[in-house]
Amino acid sequence: MWQQIKQALAQSTARFLTRFADLLPGTAALILAVLISIIVGIILAAIVRRLLASMKFDQRLSHWGFASFSEWSPASSPTLLVSRAIAALVIVAGFLIGLAAFDAEWTSLLARSVFAYIPNLVGAALVLLFGTIVARFIARGVLIGAVNLNLHYARLLSIGVKWLVVVLAVAMALEHLRIAPGIVELAFGILFGGIVFALALAVGLGSKDLVTKSLERDAHKVPSESIEEPFRHV
Amino acid sequence: MEVEPIPQQAQEKIEQVESADLVIGVVADLDLKSLVAVCDSLRALSGSPRIALLRDNHSANPADGRADADANSGGVVESSASSYIVPWPLSQPDASGTPMLSIPAAYQSVFAASEKLGARACCVVASKLETASAEWIGQLAQPLLEEDADLVVPYYARHKFEGLLNSSIIAPLTRCLYGKRIHNPLGPDFGISRRLFEKMIGSERGANRAHPLASLTPTALCENLQVCEVYVGARIYPPTDWTNMSSIVSQVLSPIFSDMERNAACWQRMRASSYVPAIGDPIFVSQDAGTVDISRMVESFHLGNRDLQEIWGLVLPPSSLVELRKLGRLPLEQFQMPDDLWVRIVFDFALAHRLRTINRDHLLKSMTPLYLAWVASYARDLETGGGLALEQRLERLSAAYESGKGYLVSRWRWPDRFNP
Repeated sequence: MWQQIKQALAQSTARFLTRFADLLPGTAALILAVLISIIVGIILAAIVRRLLASMKFDQRLSHWGFASFSEWSPASSPTLLVSRAIAALVIVAGFLIGLAAFDAEWTSLLARSVFAYIPNLVGAALVLLFGTIVARFIARGVLIGAVNLNLHYARLLSIGVKWLVVVLAVAMALEHLRIAPGIVELAFGILFGGIVFALALAVGLGSKDLVTKSLERDAHKVPSESIEEPFRHV
Repeated sequence: MEVEPIPQQAQEKIEQVESADLVIGVVADLDLKSLVAVCDSLRALSGSPRIALLRDNHSANPADGRADADANSGGVVESSASSYIVPWPLSQPDASGTPMLSIPAAYQSVFAASEKLGARACCVVASKLETASAEWIGQLAQPLLEEDADLVVPYYARHKFEGLLNSSIIAPLTRCLYGKRIHNPLGPDFGISRRLFEKMIGSERGANRAHPLASLTPTALCENLQVCEVYVGARIYPPTDWTNMSSIVSQVLSPIFSDMERNAACWQRMRASSYVPAIGDPIFVSQDAGTVDISRMVESFHLGNRDLQEIWGLVLPPSSLVELRKLGRLPLEQFQMPDDLWVRIVFDFALAHRLRTINRDHLLKSMTPLYLAWVASYARDLETGGGLALEQRLERLSAAYESGKGYLVSRWRWPDRFNP
């Protein structure tokens, strides 16, 4: 009896030690992968930081109309934000590589699914970035055009157009991430329609006075007022 | 707008003419009778030059009558011995009526035809003047053939509220940059020597393309060619299209600012300005006196001042923005934009155009309310003034441009460091 207990204990200890010994190379590989990724991340971040600093990235970003970007950047520097994001990405990638070194099936599956999701993440980020750039460009064009047409609701129009494009871009990005596609579709429809409706109402109500004034002017117009404008520009 | 200099259909017509001493491209709407009169008057020039007059297809009028059958059917008309009228697709039809859009293509065509025909000089006639056409076109051509001039620029008799983009920016800027007092550097009617049009053709083919119209005067001045002005009558300007104003400002200023960038080495050397020789007698026109309505322009400025601060903030230094805010608080009857502020605004926009601070079209369109603010101030100054007051007012503006050149050079050389 005692012999059997001793044998079972020895076997379980051996099994545990074997399993533990099996884990050791994986753990060592994980630690090594994380360490290497930290070093690579730091080097890459330094290179990117120098490159962006030489390009005057922070100033250019504010010139391109992304001044708010620096508000939520560390030390108000988008360069620092981008370089740190790259370092973090490299470290996460290193951690996933290290995780895959374990032979366990679940870790491989996890790593595989995370890696498979990366293109979606990158695609969504690009859609969002492109959408924001396009939204700002169009909004600026609309603002300038509306001011030059003497429209008093120029800013409102420009903000409305900007949010239309941003909402479209966010919906496309979420669709790309496969996050609750049904809800996103529905929410997008409601939001987009809501913005268009709000804009139509705002412009309609805002221009009520304008139309009234214009009609009054037409009604009271006397022939002597139809003097030709003396200004010639080109 | 890329246009083939000599279209296929025009090649055959040009072969019928063979050669010419003087090529004249007529974009303006002139009937055949006037064109024949132009040819006759030009033949009176010394040496009886052989003339090829390229008449824009778009201006051919079916109601011309008489021997127009040939011209209207697209054939070459021999108006007299050694004078030919050739129907030619000179310009692209342009709804906005902006010379900067429709005329450059005509210039390219005329340069190409002149090169092909081995002409000594060419002229482009794009305006309709209050004086007889034959007379003033002859005045443009004469210095080219008889006095060895390279560029003959018209000095139109001016009404105080006409040609405002020229008066406010183009003429004083050219004077301040290139050191010559040329009153209509953008024409659009010019006489051009072979030497100059060959340079223009060369620069059009190069990587750093010149604008066929806006680059003419700067090229002639930077190359030290002979430039002169001729006094001609008042030009008939198209009415203002207020809905398209910002596009016009953008289309006119963009090639001017691009040229500034191309000729930076040249204009940074120039210091004071001097007159160019003027031919003929000055022509004065009567100036209407009376109040003008500037409220629309001031309102446009107020709107811009309220909504475009974010964009102007990227272009203008803080000192200019403060002055603009102060200007925005003035009542209509006291509204006055100082010339030195306006000059700094023009220089800062030229610099932003060079640095591509924001999209160039957006940049120049956002300048429109500022331009209208200056026009409103100018109109207020000259409401009751006559010809003398006009000359004094424009001279004051040109002096402001010249005294502000140091600011431009500093900002141009050190855009990051020099930011007052």
